[in-house]
Amino acid sequence: MIELRNFSYRYPNQTRPALAGIQLKIPKGQFCGVVGANGAGKSTLCYALSGFVPHFYRGDVSGILRIGGREIAQTTLGILAGEIGLVFQDPFNQISGARFSVREEVAFGLENLGLARRKIETRVSEVLGLMRLAAIADRSPFELSGGQQQRVAIASILAMQPKVLVLDEPTSQLDPHGTAEVFEALDEITRDRETTVVIVEHKLEWLAEFADRVVVLDAGRVVMDGPARKVLADDGLKKLGIGRTQYSEAAASAQKKRLFRRSGILPITLKQARAFFK
Amino acid sequence: MAGNTLYIEKDSSLHRLHPLTKLSVTLFCLICAFTLPDLLWLLAVYLVILLPPAALGGLLRPFLKSCVTVMTPFVISLTLIQGFFTGGETILLEVGRFAFTAEGALAGLTAAARILLALGGALLLMLSTRPDRLMLAFTQRGLPNSLAYIVLTALQIFPSFQKRAQVILEAQQARGLETKVGVVGRMRLLLPLTGPLVLSSIVDVEARAMALEARAFSRPGRKTSLQVLYDSRGQRIMRFGLIVLSLGLIAARMWLIFYD
Amino acid sequence: MNGFRKEFTTFSIVLMAVAIAINIGAGQIPRMVGLPLYLDSIGTVLVGVLVGPWAGALTGFLANVVWTLTGLYPQAIAWAGVAAIIGALAGVFGQSGWFKQWWKAGLGGLITGVIAAILSAPIAAYVFGGVTGSAGTDAIVAAFRASGYDALFSNVAQGTMSDPLDKMITFLVVWAVLLILPARLKARFSGK
Repeated sequence: MIELRNFSYRYPNQTRPALAGIQLKIPKGQFCGVVGANGAGKSTLCYALSGFVPHFYRGDVSGILRIGGREIAQTTLGILAGEIGLVFQDPFNQISGARFSVREEVAFGLENLGLARRKIETRVSEVLGLMRLAAIADRSPFELSGGQQQRVAIASILAMQPKVLVLDEPTSQLDPHGTAEVFEALDEITRDRETTVVIVEHKLEWLAEFADRVVVLDAGRVVMDGPARKVLADDGLKKLGIGRTQYSEAAASAQKKRLFRRSGILPITLKQARAFFK
Repeated sequence: MAGNTLYIEKDSSLHRLHPLTKLSVTLFCLICAFTLPDLLWLLAVYLVILLPPAALGGLLRPFLKSCVTVMTPFVISLTLIQGFFTGGETILLEVGRFAFTAEGALAGLTAAARILLALGGALLLMLSTRPDRLMLAFTQRGLPNSLAYIVLTALQIFPSFQKRAQVILEAQQARGLETKVGVVGRMRLLLPLTGPLVLSSIVDVEARAMALEARAFSRPGRKTSLQVLYDSRGQRIMRFGLIVLSLGLIAARMWLIFYD
Repeated sequence: MNGFRKEFTTFSIVLMAVAIAINIGAGQIPRMVGLPLYLDSIGTVLVGVLVGPWAGALTGFLANVVWTLTGLYPQAIAWAGVAAIIGALAGVFGQSGWFKQWWKAGLGGLITGVIAAILSAPIAAYVFGGVTGSAGTDAIVAAFRASGYDALFSNVAQGTMSDPLDKMITFLVVWAVLLILPARLKARFSGK
C-alpha cells in the first residue's frame, strides 16, 4: 500500500535532510507504529505520507513515495485529502472553525468531498458512535476540553474513510481514558484490514498492545524495523533516546538479576508479562 | 453555542425563516431608514416591521435591550449636537451664545431614528439567525466557501486571541514591564504586547492551513452541505415584494431629490 | 489580475481569518495600556503587506462584517468600505517596499490614516447625523461645530486628529513585527 524507496527530504533553508534514504514498505491493513527521539524525522515522515511534503512545505525531495500505486509528488493536496488522512497533535488548530457544532464539524470534510447529504449523515453518525461523541454532537467544538476536541479531530478525518490514516502523536494531549478510546477506535477500524494506519507515538505500552509492526527512526533514517514484539523489547532502544515498555524493562532487569532463568523474547504487554513471569 | 455572537437560540417561526428572508427585511429597513422623510414614518416602520417579529421570535426583550444599548450614545450626541448647531427658530434653551432649538432637536432625533431603524434591522437579523446558516444561504447562491470560512472562523476563534493578549500582558508584567508610565512609555509597550500575539498567531496559521487541507478544503469541485435551509414559496414572494418596495422607495427618494 | 489569483491560497485564507481575530484581540491592547488608540486594523495591514492589496482589502472588509456579527460594535459594517481601502493601501505600500524602512512605514501609515479620515467623514456626517457615538470624539466634533464649521468638516477634522496617528502606529507595529518574523515563516509568503 505504502512504498518508500530511497526517499529523502530536506526542508527549505536547512542543510541537514530531515529524512534520508528511507526504505519502507507498508502493506494494506497494517497497523504500523513509528517511534524515535525528538527530531528524528517522525513528523516529517507523517507529512511526507500525506503529501504535505512537498506540496505544502516545498523543499527538496528525492526518491520514490507511492501510496496505493500513486506517486504522491504528482498529486495535489486537494485530491490526496480524501485518500490519506492526517491527524495532528494540537486539537485546537484542527477544529476548522467554520462549523458551530461537533456534528457539523465532523461533516465538514465530507461536504468538501461533495458527498450526498444522506451519505454524510450516515457516516457522521457512525463515526460519532465510534469515537463516543454522540452525547456532545450538538455542542460547539469550542466548548470542549482538549481531549474531546482531539476526538472530534480524529472523527472528522475518520469520517472521510481514508485508505491510509496517519497520526502524529494524536494522544499526547489526552488522558489515559482518552488515549484508550483513540486506540480502541483505531483497532476497530483496522480490524477489516482495509485501512492502513501509521501512528507516531511515545506511549509504547499502547503501541505494544495494538501495533503489528514498529519502525524506529533516528536522524532521518530507519534504524529498526520489525514486528512490534521484537522491536519494542530491543534494548538498543535506550541508546536511541527511546525507552522500552515497562514490561520489557521489568523482565530484562529480572533476567539480569538472574531472578528468572527464562530466556527468549521479552514481553511488551501486560498479558505477555504475566505469561513470562509464570 | 455561538457564544461570541448576538445569536440567541430559540425554536420559533422567526428563527425558522430562511436567512435571506430575514436579510431582506434588514435591507428593507436600511433603505427605509434613509429614504423615509420624517420621524413619524421612521418610528412607524420600526414599530410595525421589527417589533412584531421580535416578539414572535421570543426576542423582544433582548432586541429592545440591544437597541437601547447601541442607541443611547447616539441619541444623546445627536440631540445635543444637532439641537445646538442645526439652525432653528424655536429656542428652548440658551447656553452662552448657543441656542438649543426644537427644530434642531427634532433633526437630531430624526437622525437617531434613522440609525435606530437601520441598526434595528441588523440586530434582529443577528439575534435570530445563526451566522453559519446566514453564510450557508450565501454560499448556496455562489459566495465562495473561503469567504464563509474566513467570517465564521474569525468569529469563533477571536475570544482565544483576546485571552492570549491578556496572558501576554500578565506575562510581560511578571517580567517587570511597567504599565504606569507616560504616553511615550506606553507607546513602547505596544510592541512587547502585540509582537508575541502576532507571531504566535502566524505559527498557528500554518497548523490550521494544514488541518484544512486534510479536510479537502482546497479540493476543486462542488461542495455539499449537511445543513438544510428551509425555504417556501411564501417567503420567496415576500422577499420579492420587499425588493420591489425597496426599489420603489429609492426611486421615490431620487425623484424627490432631483425634481425638488 | 494575475496577482489577484495568486493571493488566495489556503494559507492566505487562513491568515485572513486569523488576522481578523488579531484585529479584535489586539484591539483591546491600547485600552489595557491606557492609550486612546484603536489598533484594530493590525491584522488587516499585516495581510496587506504579507499577501497583497486584494487580500488586504478583503480582510478589512470582512473584519468589519465579523465585528458587526459579534455584536460588540454593530455599526462596524458601515465602515467596511473604508477598512477595505486601508487594507488595500497597506498592500500597495507593502509592494512598493515602504515597509523596509521604519520611517517610510510610519509615513505610509500617516497617509493611510488621512485618507481613512477623509473617507470616513461623509459616512459619519450623512449616515450617522454627524456624530460618532462615543463621548470623547463627539465632544471634539461639538467643539468644531461650535466654532462654526459644518457637520462634514467637523467630522473630517475630528477624524484627522486620531486616524493618522492611529494608522501610523499600526504601520510601525507591523513593520517591527515583520522585522522579528523568522525567515522560515517569511518564506511562506514569497514562495507561495
